[in-house]
Amino acid sequence: MARTTSDQLEFVRDLSQPSGVRKHWDGRNDSVFGLQGSWQIDPRLSAVVQATAKYRYDRTYNPEIAWAYLRYEPTPSATLRLGRLGTDFFMMADSRWVGYSYLTVRPPGDYFWYLPFYSINGGDAAYALSLGESLVRFKAFYGLSNGQIPLADRQWDIDGSPMTGASVEYQYAAWQIRASYANITFKNDLPIGDILQAYSPDPAASSRYLASRDRRSDYYSLGVVYDHGPLQVQLMLNRIEQGSNSFESSEGGYLLAGYRIGEVKPYLGYSWIRSVQRNTAGRQVIEAKIMADAHVDQATRIVGLRWDLVRNMALKAQWDSIRGEPTSIFPYRSDPASGRWSGRMNVYTMTFDFIF
Amino acid sequence: MPIRRLTILCLTTWLLMLAGAAQAQLVVVVNARSGVAAMSRNEVINVFFGRTRQFFNGVEAQPVDMVDSHPDRARFYSALAGKDLSEVNAYWSRQLFSGRQQPPVKAASSEDVIKLVLSQPGGIGFIELAKADARVRVVYELPK
Repeated sequence: MARTTSDQLEFVRDLSQPSGVRKHWDGRNDSVFGLQGSWQIDPRLSAVVQATAKYRYDRTYNPEIAWAYLRYEPTPSATLRLGRLGTDFFMMADSRWVGYSYLTVRPPGDYFWYLPFYSINGGDAAYALSLGESLVRFKAFYGLSNGQIPLADRQWDIDGSPMTGASVEYQYAAWQIRASYANITFKNDLPIGDILQAYSPDPAASSRYLASRDRRSDYYSLGVVYDHGPLQVQLMLNRIEQGSNSFESSEGGYLLAGYRIGEVKPYLGYSWIRSVQRNTAGRQVIEAKIMADAHVDQATRIVGLRWDLVRNMALKAQWDSIRGEPTSIFPYRSDPASGRWSGRMNVYTMTFDFIF
Repeated sequence: MPIRRLTILCLTTWLLMLAGAAQAQLVVVVNARSGVAAMSRNEVINVFFGRTRQFFNGVEAQPVDMVDSHPDRARFYSALAGKDLSEVNAYWSRQLFSGRQQPPVKAASSEDVIKLVLSQPGGIGFIELAKADARVRVVYELPK
C-alpha cells in the first residue's frame, strides 16, 4: 500500500503500469501474487513455470505466464534455458517482483522505472568459472520481448521486439560485481499517429522524426554489492542510450545500505536519474511537446525498515522523498496541469511480503 | 559480602560455561569419495549458497541443508556467514523465483544429513562434530 503527497501526477512502480498512486492509500501498484512449479525431468533437465497476477498495462490483474522454460545443465558449471524467461537487463532486474527477497518495499524507482521489460521468448546460456575462492559468471541471452507498455489511454505494443544482452559477474567472499550490456530494437512506433495527424503541420515528417520502429535502445549497467553479516550495501549505476528521438538518453544509479539489528533491518538509500534533453530548435511544437514528456531529472532519498516478524513473512515501511525538476515527468502517469507539478513528492509505502 | 559476590561471580561464570558447552562444535562434512580433504570458509559459502556447483577437483557438489526448525541450521549460517535464517530464506527466494536455481535438499535430522551426504559422491552437509563418524570426512570447522 502506498500514498503520495501530490495529486498532480500518479506514482507508478515502473512504466508497465497504466495508472498509479495519488494522495490516498492505494494497494494496486505494489501487489502481486505468484505461483511457481518446477519439474526435475532428469538430473540434467528441468522445467519451470511461473504465473503471476499483478496490475498490468490494461488495468486488470489478469494472470500471466511470466516464465515457462526448459533448463538444461550439460555440466555443473553450464546452464542453458529455452522458452519464456526473465530478463536481467540490470542486476536484480529478474527478481523485481519477489518482494520478500530484497530489503526495500520495491526496487529503487530512479533505477528501474525505465525497464518495463520482464520476459523474453528466447534462450540464454550461463557459464560459471571457479578461480580458487572467487567465481566469474558469464551470461548471454537473446529473445523476442513479450509485452505492452501503456501510454496514457493507449498501448505501445513491444511484443516481438528483439532483445539481446550479456553480463559478466565476479564474486569473492562478501563482494559481488556485475557489468552488463543489453539492448532492445523496437518493433513498433509509439501509438501517436493520430496525435501527429491532428497537431503536426507535416504529420509524415513528424512521424519519421519521432519513429521508434527499428530504433535501438542500449542499456549499460554496473552493480557492486557488499553483503557481510548484518551489513548489506548496494551501488548500482546505469546508462541508457535511446535510439529514438521520442526518448532521452539517461544516467541513473542508487546507493542503498541496510543493517540488521535482531529481526529488524533499517535501511537508507539515495537514487538519482537524469536525462539529456535533445535539441528541439526548429522542431514542430507537437514534436517538442512529445519529446518533453520523456524528460527526467530527479533524486530520491529513501528511509525504511524491514521487519521479519515470523518465518517467511516480512513487514516493510518506507519513505521516499523525491526531489526533482518540474520538467521531470517521464516516470509518472497522468499529465500535470500546466505549471502545477513542483517536481517534489513524498511517497509513503507499507508492504507485507511472504513466500510459501 | 565480598565472598558472596565472588560466589555469585563464580556461579555466573560456571553457568556461562555450561551454556557454551551446550553449543556443540558444528562441522562441515563430505562424502569421503569426493576427494576433498579441507575447505576454506569462502569455499563452503560458495557451495552452500549455490554460487558454485563444483569442488576444486571438478566433482559436482551436492549440498545438504537442514529444515528451519532444526537448531543447527540457524547456528550454521550465523557462524558461517553472519546471516540469520530470514536472510538465508530471502536469498533462496530470489534464486528460486528468478529462475536461477533450486535450493539444496533439506534434511530434518543429523542422521538424515549423513545419509544424504553418503548417497552421492559430492555430498556435503553440516552436523555436530560428535556425530561425525568414519563414514564422512570433516573438511571445515565452524568458528564458535
